[in-house]
Amino acid sequence: MRQYLITKKWSYTTAIFSIILSEIVSVQFPHVLGEFTDALSRGALTSVLIAHYAFELLVIGILYVLLYGVGQMLNGRSGRIFEYQLRKRLFEHWESLSTDYYQQRSIGDLLNHAMNDVRAVREALSGGANILTNAVFLLLATLYMTFTTISVQLTFISMIPILLVPVLVVWFGPKIRTASREVQEALSAMAEFTEESLSAVRLIKATASEEVEAQRFSRKVQEIVKRQMHMVKRSAIFQSSIPLLGSLSFSIALLYGGLLTVSHKILLGQFVAFTLYLAMIITPLQQIGFVINNFQRASASLARLRVLLSARPSVVDSKTAISLPHVQGAIEVKLDFFRYPNSEHKVLEGIAFSVQPGQTIGIVGRTGAGKTTLANLLLRVFDPPRGAIFIDGVDIRDVVLRDLRTAIAYVPQDGFLFSTTIAENIGFAKAEATPSELMQAAKDAMVYEEIVRFKEGMNTQIGERGVTLSGGQKQRVAIARALIKNAPIMILDDSLSAVDMNTEKMLITRLKQLRTKKTTLIIAHRLSAVFHADQILVLDEGRIVERGTHEELLQRFGIYRTLYDLQQGEQGVTV
Amino acid sequence: MKRNASNVKSGVAREGANSLLHLLPFARPYALQFVLVFGLIVIYNATSVLQPYLVKIAIDKEISGPHIHTRGLFLITGIYVLVVLLGVLANYLQIVLLQYAGQNIIQKIRLELFTHIERQAMKFFDGNAIGRLVTHVSSDTETISQFFTQFFLSMVRDGLSLVMIVVMMFALNVRIAFYAMFLIPIIFLVSALFRKRLRIAYQTTRTRLSNVVAFLAENLAGVRITQMFHQEYRQAQRFDVLNRSHQTANIHEYYVSVQFNRVLELLGNVAVALVVWVGGGEVLHKVILFGTLYAFISYVRQFFTPINSLTQQWNTLQSSMVAADRVLRILQTKPAIEDPLLPQEIKSGLGKIVFDHVTFAYKQGENVLHDLTFTIEPGSFVGFVGATGAGKSSVMSLLMRFYEVSEGRILLDDVDIRHYRQQDLRRVIGIVQQDVQIFSGTVLDNIRLFQTQITEEQVIHAAKIVGADDFICKLPNGYQTNILAKGANLSMGQRQLLAFARIAVQNPRVLILDEATASLDSQTEQWVQRGLQTLAVDRTTLVIAHRLSTVRAADQIFVLDQGRIVETGSHSELFAARGLYRQLCEKSGVESAYVLSTNM
Repeated sequence: MRQYLITKKWSYTTAIFSIILSEIVSVQFPHVLGEFTDALSRGALTSVLIAHYAFELLVIGILYVLLYGVGQMLNGRSGRIFEYQLRKRLFEHWESLSTDYYQQRSIGDLLNHAMNDVRAVREALSGGANILTNAVFLLLATLYMTFTTISVQLTFISMIPILLVPVLVVWFGPKIRTASREVQEALSAMAEFTEESLSAVRLIKATASEEVEAQRFSRKVQEIVKRQMHMVKRSAIFQSSIPLLGSLSFSIALLYGGLLTVSHKILLGQFVAFTLYLAMIITPLQQIGFVINNFQRASASLARLRVLLSARPSVVDSKTAISLPHVQGAIEVKLDFFRYPNSEHKVLEGIAFSVQPGQTIGIVGRTGAGKTTLANLLLRVFDPPRGAIFIDGVDIRDVVLRDLRTAIAYVPQDGFLFSTTIAENIGFAKAEATPSELMQAAKDAMVYEEIVRFKEGMNTQIGERGVTLSGGQKQRVAIARALIKNAPIMILDDSLSAVDMNTEKMLITRLKQLRTKKTTLIIAHRLSAVFHADQILVLDEGRIVERGTHEELLQRFGIYRTLYDLQQGEQGVTV
Repeated sequence: MKRNASNVKSGVAREGANSLLHLLPFARPYALQFVLVFGLIVIYNATSVLQPYLVKIAIDKEISGPHIHTRGLFLITGIYVLVVLLGVLANYLQIVLLQYAGQNIIQKIRLELFTHIERQAMKFFDGNAIGRLVTHVSSDTETISQFFTQFFLSMVRDGLSLVMIVVMMFALNVRIAFYAMFLIPIIFLVSALFRKRLRIAYQTTRTRLSNVVAFLAENLAGVRITQMFHQEYRQAQRFDVLNRSHQTANIHEYYVSVQFNRVLELLGNVAVALVVWVGGGEVLHKVILFGTLYAFISYVRQFFTPINSLTQQWNTLQSSMVAADRVLRILQTKPAIEDPLLPQEIKSGLGKIVFDHVTFAYKQGENVLHDLTFTIEPGSFVGFVGATGAGKSSVMSLLMRFYEVSEGRILLDDVDIRHYRQQDLRRVIGIVQQDVQIFSGTVLDNIRLFQTQITEEQVIHAAKIVGADDFICKLPNGYQTNILAKGANLSMGQRQLLAFARIAVQNPRVLILDEATASLDSQTEQWVQRGLQTLAVDRTTLVIAHRLSTVRAADQIFVLDQGRIVETGSHSELFAARGLYRQLCEKSGVESAYVLSTNM
């Protein structure tokens, strides 16, 4: 923040300077009108003099607008550049943080920080700078002008009511903001309710619950009205009291100033100028209040942002990390136990196995058996204990993260894809991939035929603004994205679950061909994905309970066999 | 071509205006409030126009006039304060009253809209995305309310104050007033021009900002993938492109708005200079008094606010017309299925179902069911099997009267279901589907679907019947546990058990299970099956199953193929017949599953 202000110091200095100048110009306006009036009442006015005064007013008007406009623009620009830089920093910072960080926070919350907190800081920075400079100097200049040219007493007495304006703003502002937030909350509660209710409309009809739903909806809507009225009353009082205070000041000026004029303590022109000054400073006074509120909000936002930016990634390169550019693909796991940070529960216990380069390992087990955790440890999404997992004989805790993750191609369970084109998704890890490489990867992942059926082919936009891929298609695009890395180790984390049986068979055959010399780990819920593996590990409650090839495990009549029998019956008519 | 476009445009505008008129009945009960608001605005405006006039009198008569009276000055100040207080009061009442009317109108429109949408037949929901419907209910109505509040208010308040200012000016001095009139079109023009630029700039910024938000949201969700593929740098660059383009648009928007405000201010300053020039001459030649000139300066400055705000309302009007049009289109859609005028009371029958030559198509000309005829005896257990798309689910939708048959009829206990009220029919037929809808709320309310006449005891009883009680009691607050959005804190199996408990509590005489267990993994299915079997006792039960083992024990199995019943009979009969059923069985290895289901 401070650094930013320093880099922009010239812009800010110019802006503030030109705003101050503009205020000095603008306070001449009532002064000139006052002189005009005095000349008039002295009878010294001629048509040349009138033209002269009018011209002076014109010059003042133009100069003020120019100077103030330039100042505003400069400040506004700096503020917006700051906003940009802060978001950029946040994004880069977030990219560096580990998964455990995200498990504790909702994305909605983080977005809120990135959008609203950043904006609050910017508003205080640019709007605040404008208005505060403007208001403070206008106030000072006005006071100076009225003190020196009119009457100190008149100024003091008539200004009493309007000096309450900023107090009023500071007091009412947060109240109104709270009230309006409550309205917003009620509104989104209603929208959420509507969405939920309409998504379940079949159920509602099926159970004849239409009236119950209408009543529930009605309560939500009534709540909106209630809160809205609450807010409106508050803001109506607020909106009415500022002009009230202004008018009160004005009436004091009228009476007291009038009396002073009548008793010839001040001239008519001074009286006229004074009323104009009063009109001039009501807005800035109001703005001072807003700026105080803005600053309060912004300092809270800034504090939140500072906390965000001070978070440190939990998985980092160790000081003695070594580079491992040419991984062969041997994996050795000797894990006593693993539990997630801040948890008592042992997710994995006594896991030991080794994989030779070129082997395929299947890992099966129920939901919650610890399969995904194992994959997470290999990838150092969470750090395993030291001395637990080795790649090519090197403890992965001592490998440069970048090299480790370059050596592993990972396919996530949900087939997470970005909302860009299919080609960009497949080439995610390889910016320099040629169209034919991308095509080949799609073909290898058995998804190419479906892609070319889209009008735009590989350039089809996916996600909200494009086509929605089915679960199986997503998973296969994610597989293509991993295949194009051609990495020595590949992990498929239950990434065939939504692919139909026939395609799965073809895919696995293709994978076997492609990855003859490379290591492949297949985590699966459906056993058919691992039949062919060199070794299958059966996990249950964090432990390896069975291991062997498919045939060996079938003979054993254990968990694997039970799962197998169940799933054979399951295939049903959907084939 | 140009003419054409403007014709279309005015057509749209006319339609929008029409739609707004159609919504006026919602406002009628608040006619009195609107009249009151109008009166209050008149008072408020009168007070603000009076203020400079009072100062003029004070200056011309009491301060600089030939006969100076301090008493007069006190009197004028007193009147001034009174006028101010009256104005403030009128303004406050006006704001509150208008909002009250506007909010109540919107409440009514929303309720009407929501109940109307819920009354629609399922066909309606096939063609209308839920997201869009939600927008109609939440934001379109909000936009319409701006018509009743902002637009109405501005037209009356700003229009009136403009008129009053003009009248006052002409009353003071016709010549200067005449010159001042030239300002009005200039201010309008400048405002209108800038408004358009501002709107475009604003929209650009908004769009770019939402790009930033979308990208950020997605990348936070997928940060693991980015890290795993080591693409932090590239993603940061992509973010930078969006972020920077937003910054550019944002700065541009600010520039335009600064320019707009400053230009208006400039106009005001020039106008004042001109008034001094022209009016000064008049004062010099004693045509007017100085106070009059002073009042003119105030009035000229007052010009700007109402005109600026009036030009703003053009946008409000347009968007509320569009919104009204959308809302009205929904309100005017008649439900495809309506209840008979004289509905037949549903008798306490047994649950006999007859399909009599039923043909059905979702889209005309594409029949999904062809001439279906069958009878299901009360209390029997019937299975429907067939490949995906064979028409199994359509049969159930017709029975629930989610859709209307194209030909033929469906009888429940010997009465055509079209003679019943839809709600009565659905109270006696219960359906459990593959995807379970969860409402945000407690487990208790999710089971009884917020029907408060169902007691907690009844709910617990139902949960026990289907075997859901065990897991519910293990939840942190038992039946009072809040379920997170979309049931995030429940497993698939638990959600499915909740759905069974829902049905058990409704106690329907006919039960439909539409692939109710398909999404469960093999182990969960086993214990769900148990709940299901208890539920089926003493009811007519129709089961669609993709695992043939589920329907093995059925009294009768209907095999559907391309919308026709191709085989009927019990498992052993059909298996012996060596038809489609036998093929399906062999494909799915039902024999191996049989071993397990007897072990259950």
